[in-house]
Amino acid sequence: MRLPRYELKAEKSLMVFEFSSEGPKGQITKLIKFSETTLKGFYNLAFGDKHLETGDIDDTVVSNNGDSEQVLTTVVSAVYSFTEVEKEAWVYATGSTKSRTRLYRIGITKYFEEVNKDFIVFGLINGEWEDFTKEIEYTAFLVRRR
Amino acid sequence: MKTIKELNDKNIPIVRIDNSLEKYKNMPIFQEKVDKANEVLRTVGLPKLTHK
Repeated sequence: MRLPRYELKAEKSLMVFEFSSEGPKGQITKLIKFSETTLKGFYNLAFGDKHLETGDIDDTVVSNNGDSEQVLTTVVSAVYSFTEVEKEAWVYATGSTKSRTRLYRIGITKYFEEVNKDFIVFGLINGEWEDFTKEIEYTAFLVRRR
Repeated sequence: MKTIKELNDKNIPIVRIDNSLEKYKNMPIFQEKVDKANEVLRTVGLPKLTHK
């Protein structure tokens, strides 16, 4: 995706990324992590703000830094990087709140044609996975490289 | 593992390696979400891959 995005830093295995959001609230450091789960090859994707003094990570804070689209694009680019290394990985994501999950859905919908070229995208609804369809209120998302 | 040059050549983002992030690999951050993901795995499982 050639959309505006922030520069990413990562540790060697590309499971933990960091970038700085820039906006009216100043610079906010964000951390992205692909966490292992009970199933090998299935990873949970989460991201949140890093408190610079304590190093604590908060995935519930609403930054309101006016750059949510660029932040999401940067997270998607981290998914590209991670799955370039872990080509068979399943990447699971859900928001901390309903509204945040909705934001993710809107983001996927907006760039679905492009994302769909490289990833198989599923949405979770009523306890079942289905191929991602626009306008459906999924509770979680799952992607895998084609 | 791909090198940074290979990644950049493949039109995916430029990623700078920062070893200070290593410490987060084994830190239980976002654990609540990981627990939820495990619960979905247990109750729903994986989707069927009918195409690739």
